[in-house]
Amino acid sequence: MSADAFRTKASRSTAELLHVAAPFSKDAPVLSVRDLNVRFNSENGVVHAVRGVDFDLMPGKTLGIVGESGSGKSVTSLAVMGLLPTTADITGSIRFNGKELLGLSDKAMCHHRGNDIAMIFQDPLSSLTPVFTIGAQIIEALTVHNPGMSKKAKEARAVELLRVVGIPSPKERLKAFPHEFSGGMRQRVMIAIAIANNPRVLVADEPTTALDATIQAQVLEVLHNAQAETGAAVVMITHDLGVVAGMADDIMVMYAGRPVEAGTAEDIYYAPRMPYTMGLLGAVPRVDVAEKSSLVPIEGMPPSLLRIPTGCSFAPRCPLASEECLAGEPELLEVSAVPGSGGHKAACVKADSFDDDIDVRALFSAPPVPVSEFDGVPRAERSKVLELRNVRKHFPLLKGSLIKRQVGTVKAVDGVSFDIREGECFSIVGESGSGKTTTLLEIMEFQPAHDGEITIAGISNKSAGDAKARNAMRKKLQMVFQDPTGALDPRFTVFEVLAEPLENLGTGKAQIRRRILELMKLVGLQPDHVNRFPNQFSGGQRQRIGIARALAVNPRLVVLDEPVSALDVSVQAGVINLLDQLRAELGLSYLLVAHDLSVVRHISNRVAVMYLGKIVEIGDVQRVFGHPRHPYTRALLSAIPVPDPKVERSRERIILHGDLPTPLDAPKGCNFAGRCPVFAALPAAKQEKCLTLEPPLFPVVHHERGAKSETEADLESVDQQFACFFPDGQLDADMLVVHEAGD
Amino acid sequence: MLKYLLKRSGIYAVMIFLTTSAGYLLAVSTLQPALLEQERIPRPTPEQVTSSFRLLGLDPTKSPWERYVDWLLAIVTRWDWGRSPNGAYINSEFGDRVWISTRLFLASIILTLIIGVALGVYSAARQYSLQDRAITSYSYLVYIVPAPIAYFLVQLGAININETVGERIFFVTGISTPGIEGGWAQFVDLLAHYAVPTFAITVVGWGTYQIAQRQYLLDNVNADFVRTARAKGLTRNQAIARHALRVSFIPVAQSIAFTIPAIFAGGFFAEKIFAWHGVGSWSIDAIALQDVNAATATLAYGSMIFALGAILADFATTLVDPRVRVQ
Repeated sequence: MSADAFRTKASRSTAELLHVAAPFSKDAPVLSVRDLNVRFNSENGVVHAVRGVDFDLMPGKTLGIVGESGSGKSVTSLAVMGLLPTTADITGSIRFNGKELLGLSDKAMCHHRGNDIAMIFQDPLSSLTPVFTIGAQIIEALTVHNPGMSKKAKEARAVELLRVVGIPSPKERLKAFPHEFSGGMRQRVMIAIAIANNPRVLVADEPTTALDATIQAQVLEVLHNAQAETGAAVVMITHDLGVVAGMADDIMVMYAGRPVEAGTAEDIYYAPRMPYTMGLLGAVPRVDVAEKSSLVPIEGMPPSLLRIPTGCSFAPRCPLASEECLAGEPELLEVSAVPGSGGHKAACVKADSFDDDIDVRALFSAPPVPVSEFDGVPRAERSKVLELRNVRKHFPLLKGSLIKRQVGTVKAVDGVSFDIREGECFSIVGESGSGKTTTLLEIMEFQPAHDGEITIAGISNKSAGDAKARNAMRKKLQMVFQDPTGALDPRFTVFEVLAEPLENLGTGKAQIRRRILELMKLVGLQPDHVNRFPNQFSGGQRQRIGIARALAVNPRLVVLDEPVSALDVSVQAGVINLLDQLRAELGLSYLLVAHDLSVVRHISNRVAVMYLGKIVEIGDVQRVFGHPRHPYTRALLSAIPVPDPKVERSRERIILHGDLPTPLDAPKGCNFAGRCPVFAALPAAKQEKCLTLEPPLFPVVHHERGAKSETEADLESVDQQFACFFPDGQLDADMLVVHEAGD
Repeated sequence: MLKYLLKRSGIYAVMIFLTTSAGYLLAVSTLQPALLEQERIPRPTPEQVTSSFRLLGLDPTKSPWERYVDWLLAIVTRWDWGRSPNGAYINSEFGDRVWISTRLFLASIILTLIIGVALGVYSAARQYSLQDRAITSYSYLVYIVPAPIAYFLVQLGAININETVGERIFFVTGISTPGIEGGWAQFVDLLAHYAVPTFAITVVGWGTYQIAQRQYLLDNVNADFVRTARAKGLTRNQAIARHALRVSFIPVAQSIAFTIPAIFAGGFFAEKIFAWHGVGSWSIDAIALQDVNAATATLAYGSMIFALGAILADFATTLVDPRVRVQ
């Protein structure tokens, strides 16, 4: 969105000023929560969802609440909104501008909801009523709190709001229904509804978790602007330490329903004093760091909320836990060791014994970076385990019920070629709709009739007409799925799950037994758990079972489809480390599809960036991520937030306009031209080239030997190719955003 | 929209033609009215039967195909659906029957829909309360009690009232008392005849709609968009009334649209028990009386009502759900 979309206070419409701000003091907290406790009755007993949450939210400031699933962060936010079910038992105090909100009736609370405190929810797809227009839903928010406002004024205000959140042609869009909007657009509408009455507090519960990376960047930008516009204080709830790093002034870390550390963003990111926070920070891979080091795994899983812990709830997973940790739950106390760090609190008896240089990796005994036997061998000398030559998958778009006629073609995968060598991890990244999954499906289906050639360890799909060849291929290639719960049959014991692929190959009984015990050890599970059912394991353990199943037949290549995206951050690190270690020990190759670029950079050797069915950039992961050439790669990388407040606040980011176009509307020339920041800044003559010619993949060359280059095979090529005519072009200023310090 | 409806109507017309043709061929080759004639006293000779049937256009000596062609031609050229073995004209008979069925069911179906949906909303808003439990248990009870038994019970109740009062307030069978004419007396007589069947059909009918509406609304009471509405500042009840109700009504509207044409189709049990001789009882009687033309005509009528219901259901869905767009 352009800067002029955000009007200054002076030029605000009268409609906007209808909300008369109460006299707010600058120093008094606008929202103050004290000793908040929430309990639910469940079939298994009382669930202690939130225990003793305290925080103060200052006007105009942003508080980040960070925690994994089940940490009580969402329950806290719903308690503030008064939206918990009536069966919830809530005690403590929630004050808005000094006025107690807890205990207010639904009707009395309605005066504050949407007017003083507004909320943005996680899933934009289900959060808007499908049968009402966008306009009606925004206007409803205005009507509730301004019954006297004229219809015309409300409509004008709704248009204004849609403009603020960057929805093009807002006047026409008022009549649109939610299903006519993409996820990112719907989340913008949600933000528009939330800021409609200029609330003093905005609660955002994982507002971008369901969105693609570039859309996440757009929405965060809108949220930032909405905050600037209304001057509201924001409570930002997230599990992603990157998302809050740039936004939050203060951060509260929650674990098992309790705040375990609180302080300014700098305190939390640079001087954590609670081992859980340290582990969490070390568990997240970073997209901006090239140096490879293992991630910090936090062993075990969060405790059950059914019992009130007698000691520190993190103690069972904490490497530093000792007797004193079990003697009573530690209170959230001010950290005294760091002078002048006023307000930094941690709930750890040892908080004061840590200093800033503590080595988290050593603390949590992160494994050393595994080295594969193939790492020393040049890539060209290793054999290919998978090769794709010009693979295409076009879906005809049909119309008509009885007699179908083709009205277009969806080019889901359009001429993709790459190869994977032994011992290598190759990743495909891109937004949803870019063709990653279709590419995987083409490989897994392995049909001779498919367009393009797929060769798996020497077996080509063109010669794989019979079941025998396909069986041989299955032995070479196995898959690990995204959702570990859905991928395991709940009626199979782990033993049966792991035995199935082996029985398929006709392995003997005794041998299967031996192999299964071996596999359990390999993936870090206890061999005596083989007779348990999947539901007796945690998510991370289930994914380990999924990996063990894939490895049962000793494949050469493992296809990983978003293997960690369904897992919590602390568990994710353990699985990533395991994958890394298995690759080195067994000489495996991986084909990884992931939307989390940080994970991709951490684990892969090579990467391909896909956009609308085509590879736009491919090469060595450090080259592509360190020196991206294609504007799309640059935008994608810039969209990933980094868990480092200083970097995050000062960096320049590219905010792409709009959504991924449907493959149907793909332009004739470069697919990306419509959203490209370089294209937007090009002179018309050059733009013509982008629109008419399709850019092939150019190799990156680099001039190292200076003058000598005239004679020799001068240009040393680097493992990186990109499909863009003007990689060095200026970026359009409109799409660049830098947040000034203190902005 | 109009184009879509025309297209759908075209498809249904073809379907109705096929089912009716198949029905006629089946009826004409299995139903033997001549056999029934043999039971008359004095017993007619087969030649007499054949000649009288030939006069009615029911010539048993013709092949089924020949009779089918004759029958179809008469409908297409003269809109003549033939005659019954007793000589009655199907066309004139039919109009009367449809009118009787419509009068029997019109009021009760409208009451059924309104009461069912209203109770569904009421009970969903008070889930697990005493009222909800009572209403929903009742709905399940009438769900499992066969309709004829419920009708008989209502009849018995009405007779009981009559006996207690000692005066005939309600008529439990029949449409009207012959001979009563003019103004107030006729109106009272009408009410006395209508009350029992309408009440019986309504109390048995609403359960289905109550259960459906309650279920669909409960599915939406805790939906994310209701939470959004509450976050705007609507109370829980306002949010449910404005947002959840509208969404939960989509599938109910569809089934209502499907039901409405059924008003004209009548029902066998109700018509038999309350002695209103409408289309429903006629269609069953037609088979008992080996009446080929009447059986086929009721079949064609039933298919048409069904098609009308399906089209209305489509129309209702597009009306209440903006996500459904006709292309």
